[in-house]
Parts: sequence; structure tokens; C-alpha cells
Amino acid sequence: MRQYLYVTTLLIASLILGFQSATQAQNAQEVFQAAGTPGNPKVQISFNRYYTPDGLEALARKITNAYPDLVKLSSIGKSYEGRELWMLSVTNYKKGVADRKPGFYVDGNIHSNEIQGAEIGIYTAWYLTEMYGENDFITELLDDRIFYIVPTINPDARHHYMKEVNSPNSPRAGLIPLDDDLDGFFDEDGFDDLDGDGSVTSMRRKSALGNYIVDPQDPRKMIAVGPDDVVTTQRYELLGGEGIDNDGDGRVNEDRKGYYDPNRDWGWNWQPDYIQRGAYKYPFSVPENRAVADFIKAHPNVAGAQSYHNSGGMILRGPGAREDVDTYNRADVRVYDAIGKKGAKLIPGYRYLVVYKDLYSVFGGELDWFYGGRGIYTFTNEIFTSFAYYKNKERNRNQRYDFDKELIFGDAFTDWKEYDHPTYGLIEIGGFKKNFGRNTPGFLLEEECHRNMAFTLYHAWHMPKLSISDVTEKSIGNGLTEITATIRNERLIPTHASQDLKYNIERPDYVTLSGANVLASMIVDNDDFGVTTEQLTKTPEKIRVENIPGVSFVKVRWIVKDKKNIKITVDSAKGGIVSR
Amino acid sequence: MIKKTSYLWIATACYMLLSIAAYAQNDYPDNSQLRQRLQKLASQSSNASLQSLAKTEGNNDIWALTLSEGNADEKPAIAVFGGVAGHHLLGIDLAVRFAEDIVANNKELLKTTTFYVFPNMSPDASAQYFSQLKYNRQANASKTDDDRDGAVNEDPFEDLNGDGVITIMRIEDATGEYISHPSDARILIKADKQKGQKGKYKVISEGIDNDGDYQWNEDGPGGINFNKNMSFKFPYFESGAGEHPISEIENRALLDFLYTKWNLYAIVSFGPQNNLSVPLKHNPAGTSKRVITSILKDDAKINQMISDQYNEATGFKGGKKNTGSGGDFFQWAYFHFGRLSLSTPGWWIPEMKIPKEDSVTVPNKDKNPEVNFLRWAEKEQLTNYFTEWTKVDHPDFPNKTVEVGGIHPYVMINPPYNLVEDISNKNNAFIYQLAAMQQNIRIVNVETKATDKLLTRITAEIYNDGLLPTHTQMGDRSRWLRKIKVAIETGNDQVILSGKKIELIDRIDGDQSMTVSWLIKGKGTVKITAGAAHTGNDEITVKLNN
Repeated sequence: MRQYLYVTTLLIASLILGFQSATQAQNAQEVFQAAGTPGNPKVQISFNRYYTPDGLEALARKITNAYPDLVKLSSIGKSYEGRELWMLSVTNYKKGVADRKPGFYVDGNIHSNEIQGAEIGIYTAWYLTEMYGENDFITELLDDRIFYIVPTINPDARHHYMKEVNSPNSPRAGLIPLDDDLDGFFDEDGFDDLDGDGSVTSMRRKSALGNYIVDPQDPRKMIAVGPDDVVTTQRYELLGGEGIDNDGDGRVNEDRKGYYDPNRDWGWNWQPDYIQRGAYKYPFSVPENRAVADFIKAHPNVAGAQSYHNSGGMILRGPGAREDVDTYNRADVRVYDAIGKKGAKLIPGYRYLVVYKDLYSVFGGELDWFYGGRGIYTFTNEIFTSFAYYKNKERNRNQRYDFDKELIFGDAFTDWKEYDHPTYGLIEIGGFKKNFGRNTPGFLLEEECHRNMAFTLYHAWHMPKLSISDVTEKSIGNGLTEITATIRNERLIPTHASQDLKYNIERPDYVTLSGANVLASMIVDNDDFGVTTEQLTKTPEKIRVENIPGVSFVKVRWIVKDKKNIKITVDSAKGGIVSR
Repeated sequence: MIKKTSYLWIATACYMLLSIAAYAQNDYPDNSQLRQRLQKLASQSSNASLQSLAKTEGNNDIWALTLSEGNADEKPAIAVFGGVAGHHLLGIDLAVRFAEDIVANNKELLKTTTFYVFPNMSPDASAQYFSQLKYNRQANASKTDDDRDGAVNEDPFEDLNGDGVITIMRIEDATGEYISHPSDARILIKADKQKGQKGKYKVISEGIDNDGDYQWNEDGPGGINFNKNMSFKFPYFESGAGEHPISEIENRALLDFLYTKWNLYAIVSFGPQNNLSVPLKHNPAGTSKRVITSILKDDAKINQMISDQYNEATGFKGGKKNTGSGGDFFQWAYFHFGRLSLSTPGWWIPEMKIPKEDSVTVPNKDKNPEVNFLRWAEKEQLTNYFTEWTKVDHPDFPNKTVEVGGIHPYVMINPPYNLVEDISNKNNAFIYQLAAMQQNIRIVNVETKATDKLLTRITAEIYNDGLLPTHTQMGDRSRWLRKIKVAIETGNDQVILSGKKIELIDRIDGDQSMTVSWLIKGKGTVKITAGAAHTGNDEITVKLNN
């Protein structure tokens, strides 16, 4: 039916647009669906290339225009340079109140050169909308959850990375200028693309004093020579990244764009730059992060979150800092482990790790604020690993050279060429281009997007799902009735993480009875032995439940008189609203 | 006719305004009086410029006054703060009086030091002092769920005895923990079982349990404290702290301003914290971990020196140390901003001694500050500082004896207004002394020596003429204080054969120097500059030896 409608629409559109759109999508007769991928999507997107912030916005608009009942596009704020931070809010808007459903937040690209997250975000929004109504799992997800997807939370530097002079590793920072060398000037000595290949590669110079030689079997490679090596060929010295001494202070590239690290800026156990290199002025002094924090504070329904970085093939959880070890207690670690280990299975080559002990100990990271400050279970994925080159776990630096030669036919490397440098004289410039090494190569990108999305959907599936069951009424004499109900949480994630419970970050869940005069209420701790805890309140109809644990339940009881049509409503910030 | 009438009206209005302005103040300024004083200062002096950094949630201005002769941002600067705590009205007045005094009596200083004065960082809270219901409010007007139960402002104070101030309630109850103080029965203290004492009263702040949760007044109007919302040791999820550091408009606006002031080297706060009458001590355990929690060794020495100056300049005695609390401004300014951070309440109640001939008064053996306050207040013949215990009918305790009474809010940290002028003069004298110790980079002992007709060696000393170091030890670690930049400008026919064109020096201690030298080939003159905005700059032109 849907296909038929689509074809009709397409025909009408073709008549209006003079068959232009026929080049956009295939005729249904011309295609055959590959399992697990939208067979003939309304919105055509190539997931074998990357998109600038303008490109991402155009894709977001296409998806939103195609599925107005499933996606709303909004901006959560502006970047330093004034770009909008676009968010796609994806849910079935025809069912329930969108912002009261358990919410899952997704962002990418906090580090400027770590770009894949944006494509994963777009892929997720695209997949969810194209598969809604086609696939039961996706349909259920959008019926009772909402996804808040911000493909890039760092559009300025994404644009800079793609369009300006950069290496695979630059910029990591956002674009707010900083005086890195404390000489009173800002960003006055950055990289220079001397050979005009669009990337910052390396500089080398022939020198009898150098400690490198060219690999005789592969002229792209440099080999370090040791004190015992007998060198019979030309020695070279390496002169660092491509650039000149722009400010004449005798140093090259010492005050580049930035430098601050947007992922050292978050308001949980934040530390200043002298303790945590990369911190900016104060927590959330980076405007893009501030916009995210304001959104999250205004959306207490967010119960899970994912941030995409690159690279290394890691699924990371907090704590980020060794000093924060006690923040993560056993109950929460169990939830993290269940989801994280599943991720390691879904994304071959990726490892499930803990930031502070497996990576580095770091303050002020995004995932720590989400968990420590808001009680939201959050993962950071480091997208792409050299595993992908030949689908094996061998970590060998030759792999990327082989891959470049054998699978992408030398597209990733700029061969060494002579250049007359104003300070160094005759040098050679060459090396891997900026789109190689950290960015997933084109033909692998769709798989990367899909597997990471699948992990995120698994996480989102396990956000709390509440139901009311076993409602019983028992007369206890003198016109009084005891009403008991069971509130179930069918999924892994509790309505309140233990960090949340420890500090009452989020309000309790309310279980409210209407349609009777409620005299008293209690939580039933043990029904068999009649152990209960009475609620001390002037409003006993509204029971405050501190938590509804994962794959578990809470029993509540009211003592009422003058009973009419009773209705029970569960109102949980992270678990949504259900009534019976 | 109509016109004439309106002129008359305007004239009358002007006269009334003038007479208000001319009338001597007899109480602390409220927000509109503060604004008038600041605007008057800015309009009457070319050395003062006033800006509002932001409007708070309660729609009050956060004022920043810049006092300077010449280019303000190029000279070393001290920032002076009032209203760090919203119930400390004295601090507000001391800050604005300082600004008024320097413009009127010490303008010369503005040639060498810029002052940024922020008279009230807690205008939403301080306004409570002037309202119908007075209580020690420190929180701004942000709407917060103080007890994190999902309801906002559902259980405020109530003025049960109708005296316009919130004091405390004592409820006679065997389970209570409090008894009367032995030297003044009006004051309640915790019973000490070790001394054979049993509690007699429950003590709760004045009000009723509006939401029936058996907690009293736990979630009233507001808000977040300016002095609890900063990032050093931020007290997460405590009432009044905010959801994360620097969440509030005023905190953020201030920091955005301060981070543009590269010339700022010291911050003087009039607030609860006190490292002026008693200096901070270096604690090695607090500096051995990644997160530093103790003042660094060299900085502790500077603090000691400045503290001595404070006690000498003010003549104050008996000030209690207050090394700070989580999220406060004073510690932030040092630990996270790297500046010399100095704080004083500006005034405290002197310790009352019992005259030898007095055999009636019971000695205040445990130096209870409330007992001491009452004795001082009596001697100073204050009025309206204590509400005698009187019975009230309390809905939450129907069968119990409930009395409302106690020391009024504000009175223990804000002296009667007639004392403020003297207090202000003494604190101002200290700030002037601090400025006199200011670091000051100069280029001295410049020598040139010809090694050949065309070769000149220049040596010079970069000297810190002040008593303070150019950078606190903490500031030396911070990226938010610039290095001392020594640069030489050479002409077209001159070549630097040795020595750096630009040299960056981390830090020069008070009354210390560093030697720099260059070997230059060429004729004519070269220019040498040294300094940074917060250290002062110097420049000289040197004739090459030929």
C-alpha cells in the first residue's frame, strides 16, 4: 500500500517537476530490497561520503519534509560563528506526548575532525523514518520513545576541518581564538598548505644529520634508523606538519586554531586548564555545549545518550577521571556492562572500555556530565578502527599503506614532492591526506553507520518501559477499601540511575489514584508479610516512588473511601506516562 | 497655563530628587539607591565608567564600574567585589564607598592601577533586606526545587509572630536537642551529653510545614547563591548551588567579563570568607594531587605579607579565619582563575570582655558568638535586634508549647549604618596599600658594548619594581595570565646574531630581575619592550655603539 502511494506521488511529482525527480529515486519495479535496509526510500542519501554542516542541514530538511509526522527539525542554539545546531526529534508524533516519552539523545562531532558521528546521526534519523511501519521493532521504538539527534554539535570546526587547511588530526578544538603561547596574539601561527593538495601533510629534508631513511620497498614510508644501523642511503630529518613561521618568532605552527577541547568543558568535576589541559574558561563556556546542557536540563525525559567520536573502535563508558571512580556503583555498572558488551558484539573490532583506566583519566568530559550530573546512561563510541582495513585484529602500521594501495588505489596519499621553504630551504612534502586514518573510507561508511546505530537502538530499547498491572481492591470494613497496584518496568534501565537516587537529581516517580477519597497511601515493600512504608504527605493520592528498577516492579497501595471510577496514572520523568 | 503647571511639577520633582540625594543615608542602599550612587559617580567623574553586565532573573542589574585614568585595560588592575553573599549588605556599601573615595580623594592612583568595582553580585537576594519579610537570603530569583521533590517553592517561611523578620521556633519536647545557654538563657545551644545535659527544645526556623512532609521551610522562593555557584569544589545537588557550576546569569556574565581582562592581577572581595585578617596556610597534602586544594607555598607567603598589611592598615583585631566553602567566589578566583584572591567580611563583632568590677554577668566561657553579639548590642544600645520568645499557636504542634524568638537576620554581619564610614575608611586604606605593592616591570641597567665596529652587545635587566610577584605561583600555571614578553624591534639593516627576537618569561618575583642580552649587527637604534598588561609595560630605545 505504502509503495503504491509512493509511486503515485512520484508520478505526480514527476509531471510537475518534468521528470527531474526520476533521477532521485528508482521506480519500485527496478529495485529489490536488501535485508535490513530501506528498499526504496523516499529520501535518497549516499552514505559513502561526508557532508558539510550545510549538507547535513539539507539532508535533515529532506528527511523532515518527507516525514512530517515522524520528525521535527529545530535548532537548540547557535555555534560560536553563528551556525544553527540542528536537532532532529524523531518519534511517532501521532501517539502520546512527544517530550514525555522516554528520550534518547544522540550527538556527534564534538571534536572537529571526528566527523563520522554526524553521518551516523543522519543515518539513524533516515533509517528510523524509512523503516517506520515497515519493521515492527522500529515502529514500536518510535511509538513509545523519542530520539533527539544532533548530527553535529560543532558545525564551525566541522566546516573548517573539511574546507580549510588541516591534517587528519586538526582541528580538534572549536574555533574560538585562544592565545596558546601567551604572547598576546591569537591563533597567529597555524598550518599552511604549502603544496596545495588540500591537506596538511609532513615536511622532510635531506640531511646528513637526520635519523630517517626512505623505505627502499615503499617510497611513501619513512623508517627510523637507530644508532647501530648502517645507513648506506640518503638520511632525512622530519620537520613536522606542513607550515611556516607566520609570526616570525622562530617557531612553526605554535598558535593554531583554538586550542581548547570542547570535551573538557562539561559541568561534572570540571577542572581548569592547568589541571586538565584543554579546559576553556568555565563549565559550559563553549556555547555549543551550553546549548546541549540547556536542552538536556529542559528535557528530563532523556534516559539514555550516545556521543560519537573517532577513532580506535571503542565503546566507552565513564568515569572519565580516576577521581570519579566512586560515582559509578555496582548497580549502574551492571546496566552499562549489559549494553556495552552487546555493543562489542554488534560492532566487530570495537572494544567495550572504561575511559579512565583503559584510555586516559580526564576531567570535564561529556559522558561524565550526562551520567554524573544528570543520571543518564551514556556511551561514547570511537568510530573506526584499523580492524576495518582487512577485518582482522592485527595492528600493523603497514596495513594502512597496503589498504591505500590495494583497496583505494592510492587515493589517500600525496606523494613526496620537492618544495622551496622560506626557512628550511629545499624540503619535500608528502603524506596521508586528512580524510584518511581517522575517517572511515567511503565504501565502509554505511556499515559503520548501521552497526553503530544498531548499538544505539539497543540502548534506547532498554530505556524504562512502564506498565500498571494486578490492580486489586479489598474491602477492609467501615466503608474503607484498600487498592493495590503493581508498577512494572519491563526493560533494563531503571527510572533513576543510582547516581540519580544518591542525589535526588530527578524527582520521584508519581503514582496517582483518582476517583476516590484517598485517606492514606503506602509503598508495599513485602506483600506477603504485610510490610509497607506509609507516605508522609498532605496529598496521599499521589505516591512518590523513588525508583522503578530495571526488569522489576514496585507495589503501591491506597486506602480510600467514596470510591467511584478509579484511575491510576504513573508519571515518571524518564519512564513516561501510563494510565489505567 | 497647562505648560506652566507641568514646569512646576518637573521643578518640584527635581527638587525632591535632589533633596533625596543630598539627604545623608542612614541605612544600607537598596538596589535603586545603589544605581543612583553609581550613576552619579559615573556622570560626575571622567575616571569612572559604568556598565550593566546583565539583568538577573529577578531583573536586577549586575553593575561593573571601571575606574581609571587613561587606557583602563593596559594597566595592572584590581577588582573589588561587594554582595558576594546576598545578606552581607555591608559588603555592597564598602565596595561602592571605595569607588566614591578613590575618585574623590585618590585619583592619582588611577594613573597606575585600574579598578573594576562590582558592588553587588547578589542583587536579587540583597533586596530581601528591604522587603516586608526579612530573612538571611543569599539566593537569587531563579526558580529552584530546593529539596528536589518535584515541587517548586512549596514550603516557604511564615512570619508567625508578625514581627516582619524570620527568626526561629523552639518547641518544648523531651526529644529536642537544644537547651538554653548558661550565660544567656535567650540563646539556644545543643545539649552536650558528655556534660550531663539533656535536650529540652526542638529548634526549627519560623514557619509551618506547608506540604506535610515533616520538614519545615525547606523549599521557599529562590534560588541560587552567587557564592555557591562557582566551579571550585562545587557542592553538587546542595540547595542553593545550582545544577552545575556557573549556571546562573550573574556568575556567567561576570566571568565572561573577567576573562577579557588580561590586566587583572588581584581580586578583593567583601564577603564571608577571610584570608586578610588570618592568612591561608600552605598544606603540602593539598598540593600533591592532580586537583590542587591548598594554596601553593610561595602564594602562602604573599598572603602572609598582605595579611600583615591588612591588620596594620585597619587596626582590626580578632577576625575569624574563613578559608571558604564549596562553590565560593573567593577560592575560585585563586584556584581556577589564578589571581591573587583576598577576602574579608570588612567588619566583625569585637569580643566583649566583662569588666573586673562586674560580678553579675556570667562569663561567656565557650565564646558563643550569639551571646557575644547580644552583649555587644546592649553596650552599643542597638534596638530591634532580638525578638523575645513569645508563645504562638502552631498548627503543626497543636498540643505543644511553641515559642518564636531569637536574633534577627542580618544584624550579626552588618553593623549599624553609622559605623560604616569608619569601617570603610580602614578597608580603603588597605586597598591603597595593596596597590602600592603592585608588581611593575621596568627595563634597567641597560648596557651596550661594542665588540667590533658593527657589532653591539646589549644587556639589560628586566626588573620587577613592586613587592608582589608578576604572577602568583598559581597564576604562573594558568593560561589566563600572560607571560612577560620581552621583544626587540630591529630595523632593516640590523641583524640579531644572538638573543631572541621575542622572549617570554614566566614570572619575576617582587624586587627581583632577569638579565637579557642580544648581539646586534648594524647601526642606529633598536627598541626594547618588556611586560604584560597585568605587570605594567616598559620600553626603551637603545643606540647601537657606532
